[in-house]
Amino acid sequence: MADPAGARAILAAARAAGRSALNEVEAKQVLAAFGIAVPPGALLPPEPAGPLAEGLHGPFALKIVSRDILHKTEAGGVRIGLPDAAAAGAAIAEMGARIAASGHAVDGWLLEEMAPKGVEMVVGALHDPRFGPVVMCGFGGVLVELLGDIAFAICPIDAVDCDAMLETLRGRALLSGWRGAPPAAIGALRAALLAIGGPGGLLEAVGDAVAELDINPLIVSPAGAVAADARIILGDAR
Amino acid sequence: MSGDALARFAPLFAPRAVAVVGASSGTGGFANTFLRNLRPSGFVGRIYPVHPTAPTIEGFPAVPSLRDLPEPVDYAYVAVGAAQTPKLFEGAAGKLRFVQVVSSGFAESGAPELQAELVAAVRGAGARLVGPNCLGIHAPLAKLSFVDRVGFAPGGVGVLSQSGGLGVDILRRGQMRGLRFSGLVTMGNCADLGAAELLGYYLADPRTKVIGLYLEDAPDARQLFDTLRAARGRKPVVLLKGGRTADGQRASASHTAALAQDDRLWGAFARQTGVALVETLDAFLDALLMFQALPARPGLPTRKLVLFGNGGGTSVLAADAFSRAGFEVPRFGEATLARLEALGLPPGSSVQNPVDTPAGTLRQQDGRIAGRIFEAFAAEPGIGAVVMHLNMTVILSYANPQILPNLFAAALAARDGGAEAGHFVLVLRSDGEADIEAQKQRYREQAVADGIPVYNELAEAAQALRVLAGYETFLAARK
Repeated sequence: MADPAGARAILAAARAAGRSALNEVEAKQVLAAFGIAVPPGALLPPEPAGPLAEGLHGPFALKIVSRDILHKTEAGGVRIGLPDAAAAGAAIAEMGARIAASGHAVDGWLLEEMAPKGVEMVVGALHDPRFGPVVMCGFGGVLVELLGDIAFAICPIDAVDCDAMLETLRGRALLSGWRGAPPAAIGALRAALLAIGGPGGLLEAVGDAVAELDINPLIVSPAGAVAADARIILGDAR
Repeated sequence: MSGDALARFAPLFAPRAVAVVGASSGTGGFANTFLRNLRPSGFVGRIYPVHPTAPTIEGFPAVPSLRDLPEPVDYAYVAVGAAQTPKLFEGAAGKLRFVQVVSSGFAESGAPELQAELVAAVRGAGARLVGPNCLGIHAPLAKLSFVDRVGFAPGGVGVLSQSGGLGVDILRRGQMRGLRFSGLVTMGNCADLGAAELLGYYLADPRTKVIGLYLEDAPDARQLFDTLRAARGRKPVVLLKGGRTADGQRASASHTAALAQDDRLWGAFARQTGVALVETLDAFLDALLMFQALPARPGLPTRKLVLFGNGGGTSVLAADAFSRAGFEVPRFGEATLARLEALGLPPGSSVQNPVDTPAGTLRQQDGRIAGRIFEAFAAEPGIGAVVMHLNMTVILSYANPQILPNLFAAALAARDGGAEAGHFVLVLRSDGEADIEAQKQRYREQAVADGIPVYNELAEAAQALRVLAGYETFLAARK
């Protein structure tokens, strides 16, 4: 199921083009190549014509795809909860004009189905100069650095490492059904961590080609874990 | 492979022939002191001072250079100026097994090239290098040490320290706490041998029961991780890591990199290897003492405990400290409570856990009452540890010489109370007055010799017991 060759090809192409990071669409393709669920969606051109969301079902999230913009939310390039294709079209018109006026390139739009509601986690990875590849897991969202409710593990990790990381999180009760909420699919979260940092996972398969990786948020619902946003910073290796 | 490590490092941990470079014909410095201390400390092996001109040093016939050694030596102690060190090894191939260069002036002083030259010279002579920039080794098997006034009683605590000075503290303060060592190596810059390789010796050494590491920059951290990971907690390891907060912000484009401070990565290291990460020298020694005295019980990780001693406020604070450390101090069941109440202890005693018996209660039957109290709660199910605390100042004020010996006898009997007996930990509290401290030290030595770990305060005992419980939990999760 995993497609490391496909992932390596995406990374190599971006590197060959002189870029330092993948865009969100590419990053999600790399994640999907290792079995991590991403929302159903479509990559639209800068000025889409015709039906926007064939085969997709609202509500939608809409995000700018731009080689100039690393922080999409801060740049005003994200809309969520758009009920249907018409609302998405109106949002594209409005955001496109504003972003173009601010001088950033609009390479396209990512229109995605909203992930099922769940706990917003963050999953990350990087190459540490001392320990080599490490993964991170914790509570995600825009406040991730402020709250710092995260834990690291040195790769390759196993299922016991995953559980030990989760056990150290202050907010761990949120995952097991807080205040009457249904419990989140911890098994899917563990599987995502292993897909990245486990034996034969993404970090092992692509080596230094990925310098840093953020999945924020990874939305963990009772049904599974979906990478709603992702960022991959490229390393020096081919 | 573990047998290999034992044989490979035996010359370092039990040298039979040593060379000392850097001692002068006068009173000299480090090397003279080291040389002078060898015979008085009990080292019986061959000793070869190396000096270019002097016929004897400190009463031992000298050889002019390492290449002139009449036999290969297990261990060479080198204390000469950094710049002179590489050429010492010219022509000395096959004459040396382990070389410890204590001199500083290498990578730590901005001279990495000189350090690389030294490593090449020592390796070229067929030897392995410890250091540079360190103080020496403590090898109880050979009665050889870089520190004076330390004993060589055989023990099970093996230590590797990147700092020499802290190595002295670990030996001296540790011995006063009752620690007995299987070895201590000050590793300095770890230019050749580092913690990962040396750890292999302690893991393989049947005498070593617990391993203590003091690390700063640890250039072989990844190899150390892999070694410990492969060992799967075979022996408990306590890590005091210096410089965990020194790490600045790294340049980062991602949340992950922004959050990846050194402190968090060492936390991961500890969690994944079962190593206990501690933050102070005292916590380090306290944890080592716990493992020296008590075997881990992975089948029943310690969670519930009984607190028993004199001092109402102390008992309350103790319950808080152990609770914060993750333990339960559960209320006794009816059967236990009935047995305790049947003892008819004087007013002021509390028979509910934490059991608080004022000194006036403990002196009943010359202290033998403690034995009956232990028996009364011994059958309480699920208790993983008993922590007894005695306020020496108050008990000694009764001037009845029978009380403390009887309390200790009761404690030993409780410790040996059958297969179900949990861990037994003793806290001896004192006001610091010299005579009381002296008596406390005597009781401490006796208790530790009997396999009971002794602490000065309850909060310290709680932290050390937490380390033991953490190791038990790790083993249980990884079995």
